[in-house]
Amino acid sequence: MPILRTRDISKSFGGVTALHEVDISVDEGEIVGLLGPNGAGKSTLFNVISGFLKPETGRILFMEEEINHLLPYERVAAGLGRTFQHVRLFKNMTVYENLLVAQHRHLTSGSFAAMLRLPSWKRDEKDARERVDAILEQVNLAPWREALPTELSYGTTRFLELACVLSLQPKVLLLDEPASGIQQKEVEALGPMLKRIRDENGTSIVLIEHDMGLLLGVSERIYALDFGKVIAEGTPDEVVHDDQVLESYLGRTRRESVA
Amino acid sequence: MNTAVIETPRTATPKILTRGQVIGLLVLVLVGSIPALFGNFGFFVGQYALVYAMIGLSVTVLTGYAGLISVMQYSFAGIGAVVTGLAMASWGWPFWFAVPLAAVATLPVSLVVGVVSVRLKRLYLAIATLTFANVLGETFFKWERVTGGGAGWLVQKPKLGPLSFTTDFSFYVLCFVVAVLMVWMIEGLRTSRMGRAMLAVRDNELEAQAIGINVYKTKLAAFAISGMIAGVGGAFLAVLLSSVTPTAFQSPLAEATSILLLTLVVIGGINRSIGAFIGAVTLVVQQQVFAGADFFYVFVGVYSALLLILFLMFRPGGIVQVAKIQWGLIRTRPLVGIPIALGVVGLNIGIAYLFLRLS
Amino acid sequence: MILSAPVAQVTSFGLAAGAVFGLLALGLVLIYRTTGIMNFAHWAIGLMSAVTYALLTAHGAPPWVGIALSIPFAIALGVLAYRLVFRRISRSNQVIVILVSLGIAQLYSSLATMVLGFQEFTPLEPWLPVRDLTIGSITVRTTEIITVAIAIGVAFGFLVWFRVSRTGRALRAVAQNREAAMLAGIDDIRYSSLAWGIGSGLAALAVLLVMPHVGGERGGLITTFDTTPLGTLLIPAFGAALLGGLVHLPMALAGGFLFGLTRELLVLAPAPWNEMRGTAAAVLIVFLLLLRTERFFATKQELEALEA
Repeated sequence: MPILRTRDISKSFGGVTALHEVDISVDEGEIVGLLGPNGAGKSTLFNVISGFLKPETGRILFMEEEINHLLPYERVAAGLGRTFQHVRLFKNMTVYENLLVAQHRHLTSGSFAAMLRLPSWKRDEKDARERVDAILEQVNLAPWREALPTELSYGTTRFLELACVLSLQPKVLLLDEPASGIQQKEVEALGPMLKRIRDENGTSIVLIEHDMGLLLGVSERIYALDFGKVIAEGTPDEVVHDDQVLESYLGRTRRESVA
Repeated sequence: MNTAVIETPRTATPKILTRGQVIGLLVLVLVGSIPALFGNFGFFVGQYALVYAMIGLSVTVLTGYAGLISVMQYSFAGIGAVVTGLAMASWGWPFWFAVPLAAVATLPVSLVVGVVSVRLKRLYLAIATLTFANVLGETFFKWERVTGGGAGWLVQKPKLGPLSFTTDFSFYVLCFVVAVLMVWMIEGLRTSRMGRAMLAVRDNELEAQAIGINVYKTKLAAFAISGMIAGVGGAFLAVLLSSVTPTAFQSPLAEATSILLLTLVVIGGINRSIGAFIGAVTLVVQQQVFAGADFFYVFVGVYSALLLILFLMFRPGGIVQVAKIQWGLIRTRPLVGIPIALGVVGLNIGIAYLFLRLS
Repeated sequence: MILSAPVAQVTSFGLAAGAVFGLLALGLVLIYRTTGIMNFAHWAIGLMSAVTYALLTAHGAPPWVGIALSIPFAIALGVLAYRLVFRRISRSNQVIVILVSLGIAQLYSSLATMVLGFQEFTPLEPWLPVRDLTIGSITVRTTEIITVAIAIGVAFGFLVWFRVSRTGRALRAVAQNREAAMLAGIDDIRYSSLAWGIGSGLAALAVLLVMPHVGGERGGLITTFDTTPLGTLLIPAFGAALLGGLVHLPMALAGGFLFGLTRELLVLAPAPWNEMRGTAAAVLIVFLLLLRTERFFATKQELEALEA
């Protein structure tokens, strides 16, 4: 049963079509890859699904319900988590505080409970801190707990961002180029990590990635996009051997790499 | 993962107060009794500082936590003060009931401003609050049935059972307890769900949404809470001044005082609730100390404005940030840090003392 | 269309007020477009020229000398504020930028209070010829006519210069795209200083046109209201600037007249509405704010560049 589905999504910017009648579907616990050259509309699709952009036409269905009218934070609350192509973190907060803020949707006690240090707040706070400690250990960020994001290597901030999104315990995770800008060794660790996240929590993952090794290695199904259209769909094997994909994507990269 | 966390056995003896809390209380009592050095005048000045600290806390929440700039915080305090005057002088309410009323009375305005603020970026919000302060001055603060007309209301000092807060000393003690309580509460807000959401919104609105924070609600809450704090401060202001004249809250004096509030909070430290306290004490004490010496009094305004600009340029965290850096120095190089800290504190108290003696 | 006498009368007041708001707004917009800073100290800088003028004339200087010296003084203060403070803070933190600009406002306004010796009123001599002209059934003051004429003259002169001259074009380039301008070899700091200078000069002119003439032949006053950091005329000036989305110069001038006329025509309204000048301005301003006028006058990239 698909947990996330888009139907006929179209979006254009000032006359330029970014997405044209895009249909994709993601099953529960599935890892789906999005393949396509720069400007194919992959990130735009993420922005539409997560509510940062409004599509001109089409419907977004999450757990069989239309979520077009929901605001970005409401979609997060419903269980849609995402990362950004360029890392977005709270720059003035430490690693620990970043993760603590990400506990937002699991907390229940109110402002006055905190002002008066009521037991309900104490319990909430203790649970949140324990969860953050656990996550810090899980993603190997414990040594940097008091560091500011600006003091970390780019790769480490990527992992921190991933950790923040994971703290939301999303049902579907949209990852926008998680491997860009990080070291090869870290890229290699990323594949198994994504699989583990899926296996342990049953999270579905939608992945945009230019690192072919990673994308083809973890994805169970791939959609190939070009000029805002889905041009192929299938297993990694099928998609890489699809004529149109070879033409539009691999052909182009070959041309680019020659130039 | 590789090292097992060893649980350190805590001394589990149930105590009413831990050692830290006892030391904290002692420090508080010590700080609170500093004005005694200067006799009754000290308590008189202390009251002013503490009331400004209370109102200043509203800036801490709004600007320091949520990153929203308002040039109308003194107008919120004005609503609190006028409503306190109305309740006490006209309806004969006791002060203790007037305070919560003063807090709640700010809500209609703060929520309207909050709703507008959600749709505006910071710069535009500053302009919007400026106009709201102006409008309140022309409408609410000219509403004679509520403000008591040009003469305003006369407000009695409160009583509580056998306790009466009519002397400078007793009202100072009351203000001190309330101000410390408020500082403690606002510091607690930082660690609440809503408080963290405010800090997140200040830092990066887009990312805040991506982790599921309702930016709209957060900004609204920041305005509501900050308005209520200012309202409570306003209630104490009314008692402190013993009369509430509405002209003080009309344009452009209201905006000017709001800017003064921003100044004192930034100087003290805008990110921490204790900053409002430190800033208010610094500024009000400065003013009173300089007021004794005519020649220097003229410089107070210029001096505090310069201080504001310099802090913003070089230490945007205010005195709190400076103290933190100093504390780091004391811990790493105590032989250098401690003399510097003692020197600065001693110099300041000394100068204040000398000024007061000479005038 | 024939206007009834009272309407014509307040229209002339409104045009004069509008000219002053327009001049203030032009300066605000010029500074904002070039340096990305909303100058909350605009009034305080202009006020310093009135203070200089008051001191000079009180010590026997003829009014025209006072004008000739006080406008350059305000210009110097504006440039100084930019060079010493605004240039040195990062624009990425808008909260700090706004707070600093409020701080500068406070600095100059307390300087003014100090220099004036904490007087509640400081008299100002008029420097324009003050006479009443009666045209039909309306009486118009010469100062009003001259104010409107000077404001329109200066504003148009400035706008033409801004479009045509080499310096003006360079300034416009900086205003439109700082990075590109810097890459093209335009000295960003020099032109930003220039913008602050011109803006402050316009503010000084506006203040000197209105303040010494509010009392007709008796001259004018600097009151304690005027020496508050934001003064009394900055709100309508912000409103005027907002009509052009804070970025469009001619619209800011037009906005000045819109706010001036609204303010004065309100006098004819029944009580208590006739005293709600600020409220009327505020309603207009909030409307303009929620309309997000900036999107009509600047592209998204330009607006983002102003805030980064």
